[in-house]
Amino acid sequence: MRDVTRAFEGRVVVDDLSFEVSPGTILGVVGPSGSGKTTTIRMLTGTLGRNNGEITVLGEDPMHFSRRVRGRLAYMPQLFSLYEDLSAQENVGFVAALYGIGPFRRTSRIKRALDVVDLLDSRHVLARNLSGGMQRRLELACALVHDPEVLFIDEPTAGIDPILREAVWDELRRLRSEGRTLVVTTQYVSEAEYCDQVALILDGELVALDNPEALRRLAFGGDVLQITTDRPVDPGLLANVSGVQSVRQPGPRTLTATVSDAGALTPVIVEAIRVAGIGVAGLEEQQPTFDEVFTELVEQSRARTNGGEANG
Amino acid sequence: MGSLVRIGSFIGKELREVIRRPGVLLSTVIGPFAIMLIFGLAYSGNRAPFLTEIIIPEGTNLPRDPEYYADLAPGRLLVQDVGTDADAAEERLRDGDIDLLIIAPEDAVTELRSGHQTTIRVLWNEIDPVYNQLAGLATSILVSSLNSQIIEAAAEEGIAFAEGELGPAAADVPPDVIANPTTAETENLAPTEPDVISFFGPAVFALIIQHLAVTLAAFSLVRERLSGQMDRFRVAPVNSTELLLGKYVAFGVISLAMAGIVGGLLVGVLGVPLLGGWLAFVGIVLLLTFASLGIGLLISLFADSERQAVQLSMILLLASVFFSGFVLPVTDFAEWARYLAYALPVTEGIALLQEHMLRGEVQQTWMIGVLAAIGILLYAISLIRLRRVLRTAD
Repeated sequence: MRDVTRAFEGRVVVDDLSFEVSPGTILGVVGPSGSGKTTTIRMLTGTLGRNNGEITVLGEDPMHFSRRVRGRLAYMPQLFSLYEDLSAQENVGFVAALYGIGPFRRTSRIKRALDVVDLLDSRHVLARNLSGGMQRRLELACALVHDPEVLFIDEPTAGIDPILREAVWDELRRLRSEGRTLVVTTQYVSEAEYCDQVALILDGELVALDNPEALRRLAFGGDVLQITTDRPVDPGLLANVSGVQSVRQPGPRTLTATVSDAGALTPVIVEAIRVAGIGVAGLEEQQPTFDEVFTELVEQSRARTNGGEANG
Repeated sequence: MGSLVRIGSFIGKELREVIRRPGVLLSTVIGPFAIMLIFGLAYSGNRAPFLTEIIIPEGTNLPRDPEYYADLAPGRLLVQDVGTDADAAEERLRDGDIDLLIIAPEDAVTELRSGHQTTIRVLWNEIDPVYNQLAGLATSILVSSLNSQIIEAAAEEGIAFAEGELGPAAADVPPDVIANPTTAETENLAPTEPDVISFFGPAVFALIIQHLAVTLAAFSLVRERLSGQMDRFRVAPVNSTELLLGKYVAFGVISLAMAGIVGGLLVGVLGVPLLGGWLAFVGIVLLLTFASLGIGLLISLFADSERQAVQLSMILLLASVFFSGFVLPVTDFAEWARYLAYALPVTEGIALLQEHMLRGEVQQTWMIGVLAAIGILLYAISLIRLRRVLRTAD
């Protein structure tokens, strides 16, 4: 996807977006509601056109997918896409037939797809009688039944409980481990850590694109160490320590230092404090949550935008 | 093979969905059938006679016995009274106490002898056009009889008057013959003289078939368009022809099954004659279903919500009741409106089924061509529209 732009009635929803997805990986498209995630995934699947830019999926432009390529793709829309009056296995069977799977091969495929999402025991239950979470899993089974190479999954965990969300992600990672490529949108920032690559989108623009660990580092400029001392400490103590990029003081006996390499700098920092006659009561590397990472990156992005506007 | 599987996917899905909601079918088919049954049982086919009052002015030489006038238009008029006070009678008409008021002219016989035409006033107080027509018919019968009576009275008073008109032979002719020189003898050449149920049965049947096909098709695609299904179809290797054929076959099967049940009830239970063969009957039903499905699919491809699909289906039903010949003959409409009427599949359906079932042969064979043409045209339009819908959104 390169330099892709999409506007609705003059309002730009996706702005100059570029990224690549490596085969056999999960790309998480993360962003708040209305940030352009669904528009992005719909352009990738060819269900929505674009104003500018290029998109290639399995070697073809989504606007002109051949039947052969369509058969290698799966799309799980965000909108409800089940037939309420059909049972779980009938819903999956319908999608299997849409992909040209004949009745003899279909039975085993349906069973396998339902088994994967743990709905085999509920295969005779009508879709309308399944819980919200089960319906979402059933939609996933529908997307999997034809054994696709590339899956586009729009908000698979929206509206389902945390335990089930984890189960869905377990399943997505299992699919990845089978060599499939997945593009998954989510508004739950914490789910970014399940992905191999994360594209953080805000107001249609790509704020960051990297693996989860690199994003953490990008957000905070390095590793974060939290140091607790036995008496009040001056943050200036660490100002001259090589490799320490910034120091904050959340409390009189607490320092939060961003460092280039936590492993190498931990003993150096302990020594610098000890030399000042202060005891180190505790020191641990902080793992900022993705909510914190996301917030930090968004704030940085907005600061850049506001700075640019101010300079302009 | 892949295409057949894909078409089959829609057939299977649609059949299952419909079977899972039997209430929809029951209300669509059994509802109109039950109404027709009740209508047939409740409606005798004979309208109640008009409650009539006749005013014969003082000095006029006409009979004043109500029984006498009742015999002039039997079954159509119930002469309640023969009086002389026209104003009071008119008041009763305004109050709805009587249906018809007939006021005979003053001294009609004298006027006739002097070569002047007199006027009989007939008044009624009704807005229903069907009632007006019937009242007019009953009145013309009564007025004709009254005229005869006036002439007869004149002839009895002086045969010489008639001799002046008819010559010397009139002297041998009885006055009532002079008054009524001709009589009518009627004969119906149709192979059957159907009762109300038999006549309206094929029409209701055609209406049920069209309405069933339209509603089934109309809601199916609307739901899919408004859910995530359409995006799934856009991504899946399925094309608009496969989708449309699947829908046509599925709904065609359902409609035919329902037609079989309703047709069986009509013939077997209600005793509607089927003078033509079953095969041709099935053929007409197939054509009607094909054309009606086209309308339903077109509605589903243009409606932007289920509510709008319901509204459009109801508008179509209403138009069908008024313009299809179900209530009023198509030939009664202005020419431009007849084109609208013939564009409704049910118009051809009613005519073809009535002719096939009640006459045993289709006389207006051109209607078969029109029905097929409507079906093919609607299929083509639906296909073009569906291609646009399935195409990547702009």
